[in-house]
Amino acid sequence: MENTALQNVWLIPLLPLIGAAIAGFFGARFLRSKSHLPIWITVGASAVLSVMVLVNLYGMAHEAKPGEPIGITKNVFTWIAAGDATTAVTGAASDYLHVNVGYFIDPLTAVMLCVVCGIGFLITVFAAGYMKGEAGYWRFFAYLGLFIFMMTNLVMGENLLMLYLGWEGVGLCSYLLIGYYYEKPSARDAAAKAFIVNRVGDFGFALGIMLCFAAFGTVSYFGDGVHSNTGLIELFTKPMSEMTATQQIAVTWVPFLLMLGAFGKSAQFPLYVWLPDAMEGPTPVSALIHAATMVTAGVYMIARCGTMFFHNIGGEPYSAPLVTIAVVGAFTALFAATIAMRQFDLKKVFAYSTVSQLGYMFVAAAVLAPVAAVFHLVTHAFFKALLFLSSGVVMHAMDGELDMRKMSGLKRVLPKTRWLMLAGCAALAGFPVVTSGFYSKDEIIAVAWERNTILAGVLLLTSFLTAYYTFRLYFRVFHGPFVIPSQPATDLIPSEADAHLSPGHASAGHGGPVAANQHGHEVAHGAGHGGPHHNHEPWIMMAPLYILAIGAIVVGPWLYWTGALEHFLGRSPSFAWAYAKAQPVFGDVNAHAFGVEHMMTTGQAVAIDTEHAAETKQLHLYLMIASGVIALAGIGIAFLLHKKDRAQAESLANKFRPIASLLDHKYWIDELYDAAIVRPLWAVGKVYNVIDAWVIDGAVWFATIVPRAAGVGLRLTLQKGYLQGYAAGMLFGVVVILVAIFVF
Amino acid sequence: MSQLALQHYLAVGAIMFAIGLIGFMTRRNLIVMFLCTELMFQGVGINLIAFGHFHGNLSGQAFVIFLLVIAAAEASLALGLIVLLFRQRNTLDADAWRELKG
Repeated sequence: MENTALQNVWLIPLLPLIGAAIAGFFGARFLRSKSHLPIWITVGASAVLSVMVLVNLYGMAHEAKPGEPIGITKNVFTWIAAGDATTAVTGAASDYLHVNVGYFIDPLTAVMLCVVCGIGFLITVFAAGYMKGEAGYWRFFAYLGLFIFMMTNLVMGENLLMLYLGWEGVGLCSYLLIGYYYEKPSARDAAAKAFIVNRVGDFGFALGIMLCFAAFGTVSYFGDGVHSNTGLIELFTKPMSEMTATQQIAVTWVPFLLMLGAFGKSAQFPLYVWLPDAMEGPTPVSALIHAATMVTAGVYMIARCGTMFFHNIGGEPYSAPLVTIAVVGAFTALFAATIAMRQFDLKKVFAYSTVSQLGYMFVAAAVLAPVAAVFHLVTHAFFKALLFLSSGVVMHAMDGELDMRKMSGLKRVLPKTRWLMLAGCAALAGFPVVTSGFYSKDEIIAVAWERNTILAGVLLLTSFLTAYYTFRLYFRVFHGPFVIPSQPATDLIPSEADAHLSPGHASAGHGGPVAANQHGHEVAHGAGHGGPHHNHEPWIMMAPLYILAIGAIVVGPWLYWTGALEHFLGRSPSFAWAYAKAQPVFGDVNAHAFGVEHMMTTGQAVAIDTEHAAETKQLHLYLMIASGVIALAGIGIAFLLHKKDRAQAESLANKFRPIASLLDHKYWIDELYDAAIVRPLWAVGKVYNVIDAWVIDGAVWFATIVPRAAGVGLRLTLQKGYLQGYAAGMLFGVVVILVAIFVF
Repeated sequence: MSQLALQHYLAVGAIMFAIGLIGFMTRRNLIVMFLCTELMFQGVGINLIAFGHFHGNLSGQAFVIFLLVIAAAEASLALGLIVLLFRQRNTLDADAWRELKG
């Protein structure tokens, strides 16, 4: 049954680590501009292995009996074995902590692995072109390999501690890569901000893990296979009456603590502030870490630990954690979308849009529809990576300029990027029928509607704003009169062989219809290689984009119409347990949203079919039409205000000056945090600094007076410069010590 | 003839150490003082070997091998320094360098 990829699943994280080590240790001296090769090879191999694991699990899911979840634990070695093993009791608090470095492979992990390694590989390919010639090229790729290692550990780990290891590891890589241009103060500040804001969330996460251990004596999801074969996912489904007092506390508080970690890592309100600043990092990093993979870790955590987030307390459903997640998610989605409407930096727009889309995923997870959350995670990874990388191409061509007020009509110089960006924008905006984003977003809105119409309403409003700000960007950058940023002074002497575009050149050489023809010619030949003239769209950067674009268009409809993802994910033990627990707690739970129809007996399935299905299908169809119309309306308004008549957009903004100003300043949240948290802490720090400098250092200095005085005395009396004198002193000391030993 | 016991070795070691110590304390010649330190060194080495033999394990002997190697290296260094010092002052008297006390 198991193929070699599944048996050697530990290779998936290990290979990128080896690649990172090679790039890190040999990059600076030997590999230099070939530092991307170890990362390409190892991440590529991991991607192939991930796909093999996915295919193998899919085959197993196909052959498995109905209702049979699929999950394989592969323990590599014992990481921690502390305390008295004989006291260990399955599923109860004990003095024994056992943690394996082990991997748990189920459909959820397989899907995440393909996203991480697959998209990760495409982005490393792109990065080789994008980062060409940067100082510290090897450093960039070493960090990238380390990131893939940590992220694969995060999604593959069989226990919460492995999740935490990966979680902190990707946080570290994120910090290092945001601060990649460490000579820029803004990059350093952004890196520190990301790290510190994440500390707040991770503090909660760490407490949550500790509480899990304190209450249940294990941190494994499904049992570590050593002293217990029951893991947290199952233990959390125990009825309240069978639980100890600590376990009852854990059931109440663990969801909130884990949630805090998820909000930090996945940039939800109020901990979202680091993500927009994280755009200081190189664009491939923004695509990989801050859009496609790392920031979705929170969603993965909630999908994985589904049973931990609700309970049955005294016959009443305890759904406060889910309600909190739903409200925070929906609020963040709307909030971030409104900010994105008035941003002028390409990457900032996409950063806020990422925050907003992650809000959708949290809502999906909170309304007990983890399949929809993962579905959106997958499609979002494709189209957001595409959008970031496309803006990377724009940034590359514009010499680092990203302000959309300074550029316009770029379809003339970047014809291929324009189409790619259009594909990405359409997917993000949820352009009806032909894009991935439409299907995944619609799934979420539909399940949210079943729970709460206000929630769904907020999401629909958000998707309108999303369509607007996405196409505002597209129309401003690629349509309209041809404008490119003025040439920076440092670039006055561009060499002809320079692979980068110097904008001054472009306006002189490519500015007119001649340029369009030239490029048309190039497209016709499919030439990606640099000809005699500057080429801003080299094949090494474009090839990954084409694959991502196909993903952004095809993956969603394909998964939606075949239902492949849903049936596959339903085999995940996490989803099966979550459904089995939710069903009695909430009464009517949508089995479809867990992908677990296979778990029900035929009779149940039929009953649900006849009662609900027709109704649900009808509702779903209406919502689909509604969200399609809303997306088109958003696009239409963007077309009117940013393609046809841009002056009107400004006059409209002036008419609603207070609102526009509020959005321009991002609701003054950064200023608020600065005044409410940063400055008070700074003041406290100053006080401590004074205490340190005067009280502590003063005491230390005072304590040194005695030895100093003794030293001065000895120098004046005994230190005469006679070697024999010193030897006699040593002898005397030895004698004193010996006497002391023998006499006392 | 009685068997050589541990005490005999220790006595030799102690005597060597004491001779070295007294020599170091009473002489002013740099080379002689250095020789005396070497003598103390070897006295300690004899102790180590004696104890190693007495306890029936080889770590004492092994340690002394290291000790000899270090001593050889150190001797070459020290003698080199003494030659340099001699060239500066044209004398081997240790008291010629009293001002190094600072």
